[in-house]
Amino acid sequence: MTDVESAKKHGEEALKTRIQAIQKPFSYEETAYHLPISYALTGVAVHDRAAVEEVLKKTADNPIVASECLLAEQTAVKGKEPAPYTGFISDTVIRKLGYSLVDGSILGLALIVGTPQGEGSAAAICRELQEKYMLTFLAGNVVPSLSGAGVKLGLDYRLIPLGSSPFYGIHFTDIVARVAMMFGGVTPGDMHRLLAYAAERAKAIVIVFPGLTDEEIALVDGMRVLGFPILSLGDYEGGTWVPATPDDVVRQGMDLKGIKVHVTAIPIPMSCSPAFEGKSIRKEEMYVEFGGGRSPAFELLRMREPSEIEDGKITVIGPEIDAMKEGSANPLGIIIEVAGKAMKKDYEPVLERRIHNFVNYGEGSWHVAQRDLIWVRISKEAVAKGVKIEHIGKLLASKFRMDFPQLLDAVAVTLITDPTKVAEAKKEAERVYDERDARIKGMRDSDVNTYYSCTLCQTFAPNHVCVITPERLALCGAISWLDGKIAYEMSPSGANQPIEKGPVINELTGEFEGVNRFVKKASHGEIERCSLYSVMEYPMTCCGCFEAIALMLPEVNGIMVVNREYKGMTPSGMTFSTLAGTIGGGAQTPGFAGISKNYVLSDRFLQGEGGIERLVWMPAALKEELKERLVKKLADRGLSGFLDKVADETTAETIEALMEFLERAGHPALTMKPLV
Amino acid sequence: MQYEMNFGWTSPIGEVLLGATKNDGGTRRVSYRIGGGSTLPFLEDMSTTPAPLIAFEVCDNPAFWSPIIRDYCGDLVTSVSEWAKKADTDYRADLIRLHLTSTKQRNFSDIASLGPVVESVLSATSLPLIIEGSNEPKIDSEVYQKCGEAGQGERLLLGTAEAGKYRSIAAAALAYNHSIIAQSPIDINLAKQLNILLKEIGVQRDHIVIDPYTGALGYGFEYSFSAMERIRFSALKGDTDLAMPMICSAADTLSIKEVREAGPGQQDELAIQWELFTCLAAAAAGAEILCVRHPGTLAPLRKALAGMKQKAHTAGVH
Repeated sequence: MTDVESAKKHGEEALKTRIQAIQKPFSYEETAYHLPISYALTGVAVHDRAAVEEVLKKTADNPIVASECLLAEQTAVKGKEPAPYTGFISDTVIRKLGYSLVDGSILGLALIVGTPQGEGSAAAICRELQEKYMLTFLAGNVVPSLSGAGVKLGLDYRLIPLGSSPFYGIHFTDIVARVAMMFGGVTPGDMHRLLAYAAERAKAIVIVFPGLTDEEIALVDGMRVLGFPILSLGDYEGGTWVPATPDDVVRQGMDLKGIKVHVTAIPIPMSCSPAFEGKSIRKEEMYVEFGGGRSPAFELLRMREPSEIEDGKITVIGPEIDAMKEGSANPLGIIIEVAGKAMKKDYEPVLERRIHNFVNYGEGSWHVAQRDLIWVRISKEAVAKGVKIEHIGKLLASKFRMDFPQLLDAVAVTLITDPTKVAEAKKEAERVYDERDARIKGMRDSDVNTYYSCTLCQTFAPNHVCVITPERLALCGAISWLDGKIAYEMSPSGANQPIEKGPVINELTGEFEGVNRFVKKASHGEIERCSLYSVMEYPMTCCGCFEAIALMLPEVNGIMVVNREYKGMTPSGMTFSTLAGTIGGGAQTPGFAGISKNYVLSDRFLQGEGGIERLVWMPAALKEELKERLVKKLADRGLSGFLDKVADETTAETIEALMEFLERAGHPALTMKPLV
Repeated sequence: MQYEMNFGWTSPIGEVLLGATKNDGGTRRVSYRIGGGSTLPFLEDMSTTPAPLIAFEVCDNPAFWSPIIRDYCGDLVTSVSEWAKKADTDYRADLIRLHLTSTKQRNFSDIASLGPVVESVLSATSLPLIIEGSNEPKIDSEVYQKCGEAGQGERLLLGTAEAGKYRSIAAAALAYNHSIIAQSPIDINLAKQLNILLKEIGVQRDHIVIDPYTGALGYGFEYSFSAMERIRFSALKGDTDLAMPMICSAADTLSIKEVREAGPGQQDELAIQWELFTCLAAAAAGAEILCVRHPGTLAPLRKALAGMKQKAHTAGVH
């Protein structure tokens, strides 16, 4: 066994000694990057001994830099090695290699050095690397070992023999350095950028067979600085090299660097593309539907341990689509289980919201709303083409894997259509929703300086901008401030962006300079001002996904709230769906606001209009749903008994009846400052 | 009558450099810096950018080209280099847009032949070049690699990247320092999304030209106009992900019913008029490059654009 740490020390000393022997000037041919690693790290063009000393001083005697100088000098003196060895590779070829990396036709780079024990093991590793679209460089005895096993080498085979000893592995690093300068916008001498590029963007791994000399160990170990995992196949101990077995080394290396083989086509009998996202399925075009108030339905995404789920597994519990009557509404539970190294439990609701987009990507599938409010339709056309419930599962599993390759390693989907089982699973889902809502409880808008935007719905409502604060979740009820923050972490250029709230313009209505600035930009200049806590003045825009609508009733000087599930008439003379049609599409409509149901519980609710005391009417079911929490909240604010003064459809269906009820109850809104 | 010309714009459109002259390591006799506008085009008494550039489109396999142009140009279409030369010297185009239509042949695999095609056009004309590669995922990677390589140093404009296929074009742009056309299907949000995707892969903003997709006049152009208008407004109001120059091609006009079914003797005139007015509308919406296919369109288009640049009273409009 070789001890890596002590070998490294000896190796570094030996390199230093050998540097002393450099006398004559030297350079590589066919490159504009001099000695690429030294040049990228320090900006110094090395061609002679003095420059060598300078770069070594600047890099604290880095073994990679020392090795590069030594090999460049040796190449200049002795010339290149004969074929098949490539030695230093010209810029022209690197440009092509870099092209393939950006292009995605190569997923990553691997370097194999050392002496394989026995025939075949290196060949098997190389075959696996080829199958996984990796470009592999070889240095040392591994080359004759592969040739001996009949493996074809060369660029066409994605196996490149750099040189006869592991020392030539240095070219692997000079390639990464040049790719960083050519494609990554790294300027020579910007050491920090180079290291960041190498670690984050260059998907490179190093596989080490036994038999390295001390100097070679120092060189290979030095590559860790660039973020390349060093995978050891025996004979080395100590240090931070990762022990591996030939069967597992490729998978392990690719896992460590997060290199994933992409899924490209989804095997379902309908097209799937963002182009279909805005297309709705009308009643006449629909074969079956789920949820939307017509049948119980919900969706839930949960994180699991990798051992608990089987990637790509789709389970349908209950009748398939062919057992459903055309035109019928059926129960549905969508349960997505995911696992991944980088996955966090906090990400669950954010990923869950993507179910909406993905189902809409299907040419014949349509989805609105979220959680236990979802409404899903499958078209007649799709069913005629053979689309089944199972395929919705396949679509979801594939899209989650495709769109979150860094986050998810495994996705399994369960679709429940059995009524009893849906009811059972929905209870559990509701428990999870409550748990999530509880997490953000207690946080105040004044505690933070950054709010988050959500423009996910701009596909439907092009100028709509949701502003999400700790005390006001998105109007769809599905994205809290925390979710916005996490979504931004996961995808910095996505639909959730941070908003610096900036100086206050109006404390009461919740108008901030920074928010206005952001909303103006994100609404493409359409919306100049946005007050977060007011229904009357510059209310937030509405997409179409709001859980409820708050609107003013000038006749009673108050504000009513109606939720999506309520189908009846309201005192405004309009039903929810009529109201929704009036205010949606990304418009700002003073007097009307799309809100989440839970926002009614927020201390900021109707703050601009004088607070919850303005609330005059809401459907009985919504009252019941919020009751427990609302009663407590009201008691805390000295408003015990207020809820009884709020009318519902059982006490007032018309504006006249409402007026009577409010007067009888002595509702505070009647004596408040006039709304208009 | 005086109009309030302050729209509250906050930032200009980014600039993109097309073509490299000898000084910049290329062989073009001219290079263009497009974009840079700080308000809408053709406004009186406002410092506006120059009139849009006019590109003439040619292809290397005329079987995939409009029969109207084939008939009008005759044998010329069989030699793409001669055709490009004529577009430069006779038609007086500002740019040549080369479509590698040969890649549209079934099971096309002769990638090596594309290099010489590009090179022959580069030597036949010294105008900056726009190159349209393939539209076939299986060969995209090789085709764009070849285009990028053949035009190395010339600062080409490569087309066309779309949301589903942009990696190869982006790679060619990065590897050989070319710019790219990013096309979205008449949708401001998809245009923005594609630009962000390109940014994430490493393409700089000053290497992107937006193609909003141009419908033919009377056949959907109003949607294009609206999308362009919104893209430009957003850009001028500070959205840097949309602040790029735009390119429009009137190619769709050659296949609309009125032009296709026009009687002999009328067809060329109708094709020219349709291209002309589609391009003028695109120019009014803010396009920096207008692409035409009929040789007869260039002269009247240039004249009309010059007229639009003049003051209203001198142009005879009150």
